[in-house]
Amino acid sequence: MNSVEQLHPLEVRTLRAAGEGPFTAADLMAAAGMNLGQCNQAFSWLVDKGLIEERERLRELRYELTDLGEQYRRDGLPEERMVALLRAAGPLPMPEIAARLGLQQRDVGSAYGALAREGVLAMDRGRRVRAAGGDSARVATVRGLLDRLAGAGPAAVEALTDAEREQAAALSRKRGAARGVFRATETETVSYALTAAGEEMRRGAAAAGLSGVEAGALTPDMLADGSWRAVQFRRYNVNSPPGRVLLGRRNPYTAYLDRVRDQLTALGFEEFDGPLVETNFWCCDALFMPQFHAARDEHDVYFIKEPRHASHLPEPYLQRVAATHADGWQTGSRGWGYRFDPDFARRTILRSHGTVVSAKTLTRAKVPGKYFGIMRCFRPDDVDASHLADFYQTEGIVLGEQVNLKTLLGLLKLFAEEVAGAASADVRYEPAYFPFTEPSVEVFIRHPTVGWIELGGSGIFRPEVTRPLGVDVPVLAWGLGIDRMAMMSLGIDDIRDLFSPDLDQVRRRVAH
Amino acid sequence: MPTIDVRDELLAALLGAAVPEDDELERLLSTAKAEVEGYDPATGVRRVELKDTSRPDLWTTPGLARHLRCYRGDALPEYPFVSTGAAPPDTGEQVVEVDPALQKIRPCIAAFTAAGPPVSEALLLELIQSQEKLSDSFGQRRRAIAMGLYRAGAIAWPVRYRAAPPDATRFVPLGFEDELSLTEILDQHPKGKEYGHIVRGQPAFPYLEDAAGATLSFPPVINSAGLGNVEVGDDHFFVELTGPHLDTLLLVASIAACDLADAGYTIEPVLVRYPYDTAHGREVVTPRYFQAETRIELASAERLLGEAISPEEGRRLVQRMGSRARVEGSSVVVTPPPYRNDFMHAVDVVEEIAIGRGLGTFEPELPDEFTAGHLTAQTRFGRAARDVLVGLGYQEMIFNYLGARRDYTERMNAPDRVLVEVANPMTENYAVVRDSIVPCLLAAEMSSQNAAYPHHMFEVGKVALPDGGDPTGSRTVDACTLLVADRAAGFNDASAHLAALLFYLGAEHRLVELDDPRFIPGRAARVEASASAPAASAAHGGERTWTAIGVLGELHPAVLEHWSIGMPCATVELHLDPLRTTLQDT
Repeated sequence: MNSVEQLHPLEVRTLRAAGEGPFTAADLMAAAGMNLGQCNQAFSWLVDKGLIEERERLRELRYELTDLGEQYRRDGLPEERMVALLRAAGPLPMPEIAARLGLQQRDVGSAYGALAREGVLAMDRGRRVRAAGGDSARVATVRGLLDRLAGAGPAAVEALTDAEREQAAALSRKRGAARGVFRATETETVSYALTAAGEEMRRGAAAAGLSGVEAGALTPDMLADGSWRAVQFRRYNVNSPPGRVLLGRRNPYTAYLDRVRDQLTALGFEEFDGPLVETNFWCCDALFMPQFHAARDEHDVYFIKEPRHASHLPEPYLQRVAATHADGWQTGSRGWGYRFDPDFARRTILRSHGTVVSAKTLTRAKVPGKYFGIMRCFRPDDVDASHLADFYQTEGIVLGEQVNLKTLLGLLKLFAEEVAGAASADVRYEPAYFPFTEPSVEVFIRHPTVGWIELGGSGIFRPEVTRPLGVDVPVLAWGLGIDRMAMMSLGIDDIRDLFSPDLDQVRRRVAH
Repeated sequence: MPTIDVRDELLAALLGAAVPEDDELERLLSTAKAEVEGYDPATGVRRVELKDTSRPDLWTTPGLARHLRCYRGDALPEYPFVSTGAAPPDTGEQVVEVDPALQKIRPCIAAFTAAGPPVSEALLLELIQSQEKLSDSFGQRRRAIAMGLYRAGAIAWPVRYRAAPPDATRFVPLGFEDELSLTEILDQHPKGKEYGHIVRGQPAFPYLEDAAGATLSFPPVINSAGLGNVEVGDDHFFVELTGPHLDTLLLVASIAACDLADAGYTIEPVLVRYPYDTAHGREVVTPRYFQAETRIELASAERLLGEAISPEEGRRLVQRMGSRARVEGSSVVVTPPPYRNDFMHAVDVVEEIAIGRGLGTFEPELPDEFTAGHLTAQTRFGRAARDVLVGLGYQEMIFNYLGARRDYTERMNAPDRVLVEVANPMTENYAVVRDSIVPCLLAAEMSSQNAAYPHHMFEVGKVALPDGGDPTGSRTVDACTLLVADRAAGFNDASAHLAALLFYLGAEHRLVELDDPRFIPGRAARVEASASAPAASAAHGGERTWTAIGVLGELHPAVLEHWSIGMPCATVELHLDPLRTTLQDT
């Protein structure tokens, strides 16, 4: 749809300058003060819009002076100079003519040939050239043309006499040739006329008071001198597509993790952290997972190549944990009843779950205390849409005299509502099993589209875990499936996309 | 966590009632920490995942059905064939004789026989599944438990459990037509290849044969194709379990025997005669009870549950969960059934009480103890760096920490770089822990060459640096790394951004020319930082101290070529921990 508001200023100026009949770029340049490029741009747009149509194409041959032609006009044509010399100095041999006039002998020869045929010059017996009396009509014609083109500028071929046309053609340089007195240029002039729609648009523009010379940008100068008051600003097409901006931006996934960090600190949790390389001791032994536990072999844990073993483990924890595994130590447990291998405990591994940092934190924790960490963990899994070799776990602990099953459920409810945004009716608790907690509870939330999903696991640390690490109050341990929550929040269904190396994909992901 | 097939046909028979509707079944299974993964109505088979790895008795259809019967209120079942050491029954001819040489090879065995109706296909599939789950999942891939099932009617008693010479002992293994020696079985039979490592290298191998010299099996590897070939319609079975720990075998023998008893079979015990001492003497009749009672003071239960439970209520709930219990004063004393050994501590009883009553009956409460929350200094400092880089126009990225060794060495012009490496990688693509984020950013640049330029990317994340001074041989530090890639990107762009970043973090810095094969010679520098002037001079009496915190450089074209990158790139990598420490020291 064409509307007056959507016309470009050049289009408006063209329409308003166009008269009843056909018009050309030259007409507009005169009438609307546009340059040739602006005219051609406006014609192209208006033809596309069906507002003007082409009427006629005129080819025109015009002549103008070259630099050489200008020099001949000023200093004389070689023929004119030869005749003048010979009339003044008497007969001369050709080489001498060439030397005196600073011309090539070849040029002198050809000029002589033409003038001799016209009876203006002749050769005597001594092979000297002399003036024979009489003038060359041809030279006079060329002289007339030189003077006229120099005065009035380029002339159309139709404006020349037949004799002039003949000389102009003979002395014109062809496009690209080195020398020539005249330059012939062929131009094509297209004329256009308004279509009916164009005529209507022209009236519309006039009625709307559009001149096409409205200002584009407001400039500091206009503000400085107040000239903006006299200016009408052009209306923009607000729907034209904007340019693309490349900006610096947080990664949506790390932004999500930071939001969880902030929510947990707002709930009174203190953040903890730990190294990526751990020992079997902290990762499993301290959590009362027996050394023969199925989840401890090379299919479930990445072992470190070098060094294979940590140089030492901290006491008194090593002794106590070893005794707890063997016979329960002072924990009230009967223990696993096997001989604890301290070398296996020193084996270096990549942490396979975040609970390792919870265990280490127990040795320095405050009572009451609440702690959390968002920790990168590693497991030997085939990487696919739902598994990664390294991924985040969010884990933590709560220590206090008041920690019990009911406060455990209360905390899970808090996470479900505050962190996952679930409604309180959409939270469900199920019995669960973890080697290091008893009782153990999993919490599920109802997702509006997916249905019930597991939000996380939790439990109360077994005394076999807490006592050897010096803690006598109940400790609640919890973990949230943070990667899955992030995928749902970010609308991602392939877990690998959380860690996408594709810049464009990351740039385009919407922030939440 | 094991997943088992539960057949409707068998479950209904064991429940003595129709299988409950889906929702009700799921609710009931949750009290066994079991979850339905899928159901095929055509075959009536449910996939059920068992989450409690300390309750192998629930890993079978009869075991799950038993739990559901107790939970709905049925009386606890009696299994009189499980004896105690005090009054062992006479097992008649059913005796297993153990060879002294086995003491150092695979010392323990438990066994029984079961007689009853001809076995149905459903029950036989169930028995094979139990054998697999108990041996492989609970029995550490047969290292701790190997279970065998045989046709008992053809066995000549006593059965001999002996140490056999690997090359001289030959029989036809299940699935084969011809006799193989035990050594050949390890090399040629699929089960030999899978489980042979448990016995390989021993001077003699465990071997079971009957009094007539007929082979039962080569535990823990393979049954014989003769006595060891059980088929639909068989009605009399010999079951044995071998392994290093007798109590583990006794537990699983009770699971198998009680399951068969529930399926309608009569269990007859077997006497095992050891030539050496075991935890239960030299003559052990199996199935045998070995568990101890567990006592819980209700006060300690109250502490963990958050509300008081009367002793009688506690007793009732424990029984609902499948164990006998009696009240003694303010305590409940629990006698686990023969197929359970998961009461290690009184807290294990507390959970039975909680599940017995239902988690939904406990009202969620919030503790009223106050604690102050806060982030680590690393997190706060990392956020400050990230904010500045975003303001400088950088897109934040996040990458995996595991990578391919060549990405950190050859591709970076640094083939000898020492890294923290994984000893048991699944693939070479995830074999090292990154010590730098630069290769991650180059990998991103490599796969982003269609994205509009310029590219400004960064990550703040962890790297592991080999460090002999640390007990584990490495340190984890927070790194902050930026990469700029563009037609005219170079050292100067990165240097300008580094200067802006450090200015806003409150640090002054200087650059010290550095030889680093990753960068173009003369266009690389070590970054050294110091706290901004007034603070620094106050702290050190005007003496400025500089700490190395990272590198800056224009990547070498050879490196870019290794990554197939067609744009000039420059990078800055800082270690935030030393920088933060430098700023805090002032």
